[in-house]
Amino acid sequence: MEHHLMWNWPMIVYLFLAGLGAGALAVSGIVVLWDPAGEFRHRAALVARLGAFIGPLPVIIGTILLIYELGRPFRALNLFTSNFWFMFFNPSPMNWGSWFILFFCVFATVYALTFLPWKALLRGERGERLEARAERMRSPMAVICVPLAIAMAIYTAILLAAIPARPLWHTPVLWLLFTVSAISTGLSAIILVQRFMFRKPGAVRGAIRREDPAFRVSEYYLVSMKVLLIIAELVVIGLFIMFAHMTINSANFAVQVLLPGGELATTFWLGVILVGLLMPAFIEGFYLLRTAVLGHEFEWPYVINVSAPIAILFGGLMLRYVIVVGGQITGPIGI
Amino acid sequence: MTTVSAPTMTRRQMLKRVGAVTAGVTVVAAAPMAARAAKQEVRYAMVIDTRRCSGCQACSIACKAEFEVPLGAVRSWVEHIEVGTYPNVERRMLPRLCNQCSEPPCVDVCPTEPKKATYKREEDGIVVVDDGLCIGCAKCLEACPYDARFMNPFKGDPVKTKGNGVADKCDFCLHRISQGVQPSCVNTCQGKARIFGDLNDPTSAVAKLVDEYDTTVLMREKKTKPSVFYIDADYIEAKKDPKADQYFRLDTHRNERSSKRWA
Repeated sequence: MEHHLMWNWPMIVYLFLAGLGAGALAVSGIVVLWDPAGEFRHRAALVARLGAFIGPLPVIIGTILLIYELGRPFRALNLFTSNFWFMFFNPSPMNWGSWFILFFCVFATVYALTFLPWKALLRGERGERLEARAERMRSPMAVICVPLAIAMAIYTAILLAAIPARPLWHTPVLWLLFTVSAISTGLSAIILVQRFMFRKPGAVRGAIRREDPAFRVSEYYLVSMKVLLIIAELVVIGLFIMFAHMTINSANFAVQVLLPGGELATTFWLGVILVGLLMPAFIEGFYLLRTAVLGHEFEWPYVINVSAPIAILFGGLMLRYVIVVGGQITGPIGI
Repeated sequence: MTTVSAPTMTRRQMLKRVGAVTAGVTVVAAAPMAARAAKQEVRYAMVIDTRRCSGCQACSIACKAEFEVPLGAVRSWVEHIEVGTYPNVERRMLPRLCNQCSEPPCVDVCPTEPKKATYKREEDGIVVVDDGLCIGCAKCLEACPYDARFMNPFKGDPVKTKGNGVADKCDFCLHRISQGVQPSCVNTCQGKARIFGDLNDPTSAVAKLVDEYDTTVLMREKKTKPSVFYIDADYIEAKKDPKADQYFRLDTHRNERSSKRWA
């Protein structure tokens, strides 16, 4: 069966990238704010740095995709033609979102700049001054960036959930699903980049080295956090389906597209649930439990090491695909 | 005495001032609401007498000719519906167009500001699209429960634009009714199934028909308060009752829109 889709792949990729960037930035900001003087932050300094660098990029790429989809780029300026406070009188979540994107891009970029190694980039007194200033600005910027990032992640779901005519989107569970998925994909992106960088021992100068036992501990914490997020996401997907299934009216009809026999069932169960959630959860859970229960070293083959976060990223993209396409093909067409 | 009365006076003055400020704020805050709640003089509406419709699609053709609607899209169309339980089955015709809702969900989601690109005209209640403001995000297409909107890639610019174009929809033939002429679909209807007029004018044909008949609106549960009323289309409401296990087959007769395909 062929369907006419108004929101196509740029929209799907945008939702995925915006969630990824927001998740990475939220993780980075939380790490910075967690324990300002303590050991945890030192140990996780690389995570905070990578998260800050990853944060703004996907959102900027996604925004370019969105504007490309409009066809006439300058029309997008119509979203900003009045003053900022007017947004509180406009109930359109897309208008709120456009302001969120604007502030996110600005603040996330500034936040990322505070992580640049200024001393190494600019030699002399100027570099040292900038480095000191960046150190001072990091925590205040994190205070701004964490709520912004969480607002971004929620907004990507509210954009869809605010539409009563599409029953698959119009549920109160969607924001939770997208937020958990955003943080999970953001964390996976951080872990993936970290693993690429640590392919060779001691590849990153200045950061903790692979041989350093602190690195293993930080990896262990990150991976266990990620497995917890995967379990949370499975629970939220269960809630999402249960909520729609228990509803008598159109939401029940809409969710049939995801259940076995539905049009998107294969993509959903194979792409999202199996590859995107269960597989990485089992692989990483196995190595985690081996360390936690049997006391082995937390170490694993490189291929598995890299494939688990890739699978999670793929699952996040497939989740956006299934929700965006599924919502449109089950919309109330006709009477 | 004076020492006592002076603070009393100031308190009274202060109370007065507070009262005045409160009243002023209330008036300012309530002003837009009052303007919205004020009875609009004209509310254009359409009554569709489905008993008189033969499903000839003349209105669809007239509409396409009137607006040069691009291939694969329609502003107005006629659905053919088979309904009932054997042996009591029948074929019904259901002319469709934008419902010109009193509370349009498409306007709520429009993101442009300070003026929305799609808005409900205060003077006559018609929901229109401003080609100059529309950014082409297609959010209103998703929000419309009636699927009455489409993206028109030819509108706004003389040449085909690369992207979505702008949102387009039925506007009750605004250019015709502003000149005192009936909308194109009403004008062309062979069976006189479409009746157009001002619902707030008690002498108009639509007001009389809505008074006389138990009319149906589409998707009443969405609470959009449409301005298009159907006579003898109760089966639409009946089919929503899960207990009424009746056969229902809908043939929308809309062209298969081929601009973008997926899945």
